[in-house]
Amino acid sequence: MRRALATATVAGLFAALSMGAMSVSADEIRLFNNKVEINEGLNTLAAKYEEETGVKVTIESIGGGVDAQATLKGYYQGGNMPDIFVFEGDKDYPTWEGLMADLSDMAWVEDTEAEYTVDGAVYGFPTTTEAIGLAYNKAVLDAAGIDPASITGPESMRAAFETLNEKKDELGLTAVIGYGAEATALYWSTGQHLYASYIDSGLSRDDTTYIDMMQAEGGPTFDDERLLAWAEMVALFNEYSDPDLLVSGTYDQQVLNFAAGKYAFVTQGSWIGATITGDDAEAYNEAGNFEIGMLPYAFIEGQDTILTNSPNWWGVYKDSENLDAAKAFLEWCASNDGGQQILVEDCGLISPYASCTYVAVDPYAQTISDYTAAGKTSAWHWLSMKEGLGQNATAVIFQEFAKGSYADAAEFAEELKSAIVSYYAN
Amino acid sequence: MNNNTAGKKMLSIVLLIAGIIALGAAIVLDIQGSKFAFRGALLIIGAIVILIGMYEFPTIEHHRSIINFIFLFPLLFTFAITVIVPMILGIFYSFTDWNGVKMNNFVGLKNYQTMFKDPAFLWSLLLTVLFVIVNMILVNVIGFLLALLCTNKFKGVGFFRAAYFLPNLIGGIVLGYIWQFIFSNVLIKMFHLKFSPLADTRQAFIAIIVVYIWQYAGYIMLIYITGLTTIPKDVLEAASIDGANATTTLFKIKIPMIAATITICTFLTLTSAFKQFDVNMALTNGAGAMKFMGRTISNGTQMLALNIYNTAISQNNYALGQAKAVLFFIILATVSIIQVRISNSKEVEM
Repeated sequence: MRRALATATVAGLFAALSMGAMSVSADEIRLFNNKVEINEGLNTLAAKYEEETGVKVTIESIGGGVDAQATLKGYYQGGNMPDIFVFEGDKDYPTWEGLMADLSDMAWVEDTEAEYTVDGAVYGFPTTTEAIGLAYNKAVLDAAGIDPASITGPESMRAAFETLNEKKDELGLTAVIGYGAEATALYWSTGQHLYASYIDSGLSRDDTTYIDMMQAEGGPTFDDERLLAWAEMVALFNEYSDPDLLVSGTYDQQVLNFAAGKYAFVTQGSWIGATITGDDAEAYNEAGNFEIGMLPYAFIEGQDTILTNSPNWWGVYKDSENLDAAKAFLEWCASNDGGQQILVEDCGLISPYASCTYVAVDPYAQTISDYTAAGKTSAWHWLSMKEGLGQNATAVIFQEFAKGSYADAAEFAEELKSAIVSYYAN
Repeated sequence: MNNNTAGKKMLSIVLLIAGIIALGAAIVLDIQGSKFAFRGALLIIGAIVILIGMYEFPTIEHHRSIINFIFLFPLLFTFAITVIVPMILGIFYSFTDWNGVKMNNFVGLKNYQTMFKDPAFLWSLLLTVLFVIVNMILVNVIGFLLALLCTNKFKGVGFFRAAYFLPNLIGGIVLGYIWQFIFSNVLIKMFHLKFSPLADTRQAFIAIIVVYIWQYAGYIMLIYITGLTTIPKDVLEAASIDGANATTTLFKIKIPMIAATITICTFLTLTSAFKQFDVNMALTNGAGAMKFMGRTISNGTQMLALNIYNTAISQNNYALGQAKAVLFFIILATVSIIQVRISNSKEVEM
């Protein structure tokens, strides 16, 4: 009898446990985010949405060195897929192909040009716009008597660098430019963003010439003349960068020194705006809250575009039980009376939606909207590069060049080509 | 009595059948991708019911083996699920184009061919072997010297033992970041270097070796201390009465007496150096440019385990990573088998 009792207890326990697991309410959606820095803002967004509609949104933020896509794959394998998840364009699309819901018929698609589309079907919801360009401290340039608009090509860029270098002490600069080529933690800055300017600088948004050459069937090919001109620009950065930062510096050091007015230029894009007005606000304040602008990486005379794009998109899991709830949430996020205010003001995102009337307090917001209004932007075709290229192949070459291991820009260009070809061979 | 046995037999058979049905139903439900959350519990209840049925089965001649089976079952089952099944799946995936989410095609031996044609991977393999050899020697020598030091009688010997062992208690990733700070900030300022040693492939490799020794020598030292303290005092006394000096005692008495410990330590350092991952990842993440086999490669300090990880995660090529992992498994299994053989034969001799 005791045995039977024990059996019944065990069975009952399991039944109770599994009942617990079953009680998932339908009015709950999960959002998988890879930017920890906007986690708080997204939670505000979720709270507002729950208040308005009664649907609970759980924000799950993965970041800080963790590979979000790998985590997501684990979730998928474990049958624990979130309803809305972040993905980084062409690089991640093949992984989730066939698993993402078609969002083509949603209203927000009409309101933006930054949606992620494959063969005419919309899969990605854009949340922000980021810009890659050569950021400058306007106050310093003004003090040195340099008009940013006069920097239109390699000669004028070099001339400006030389002028600044001569006046370094009176301007309070440590170095003309904050360029860091450390390969372990900052690989994305050189291997992806700086290299992106070779692929897209000066091109119209749909021009895929150089990325196509790189992705060619028989292995990557390059436009040698363009690559060399670009390599000369990297050489210029090496020459005038802060030696403490150049080879083994950190991101924090780079952004802080720029915020403190110690560099006239910095090779980081618009995402540092949040850090400058956040963590580094004190230093930025002391340096006079100077105006920040952005120049094109003009390594060939006349290149006049900065690179703007949605850095990632939100996709909706096709087999989600809460498909409709997830779509409704996206619709709300995109509308001006809904989530836009929080996304722009609390998360510091630069809205890709035409109807949005809010403006972020980000120091970069103005320069990005100026370039966008003038139609002087290029796309981020580097997003289609073979996954891991920067981290596993090219960043180290930038670092070697910064260390002085190569004789000149031409050798750097050759080494870079060789590393890319090797990487694509597998 | 007879009736009771028949009743028990009935009960046992009913339980067995019910259990098998529950198990089968749970598996079928799972394969069909059912959302029925009770299926996991159903599986376990099925298994338990089968075990009870077996236990209740009225037999005398097989009773012992049934009991043995019931007691071994949890262990074997767990081992199968956590080790055997993933290993078979892993070998299976290495022949496909699996990307971590889905597989489209069988690609045969393509992953293995790619792997052996890739200079970067071959370099990782070579570097790992180099790292293993260097570390096996250095960690053992340093660990042994520390052990000799810490078996002497002097003030504060307990403190030194603890101090040498302490680094082993810190996790590899944390340790890696601490040392990264030392190399990239402290050393630069102390010696006015132009850049961090970690930015140079050769120096970075030496840095990894230094950190690894610092982490592991204390652990090996403890094992050597245990070995050295088991040497009978009378043997040492006899030697000193016979006029043996310290060097002679060390080479003729102490080292031969702890031969078994040396074998253990050698293999411990061998396998753990092979599996080196965390310090490697935290210190350099494999970065380092160099020429190898006529190509420029960027993973100058990347060892095998890290190479596998980066292939799967950052290059998003799970199948290729899996193929590399199979090779890694074969190497480690071979080493372990040799280790077991050698230590077994040693035991017989003694």
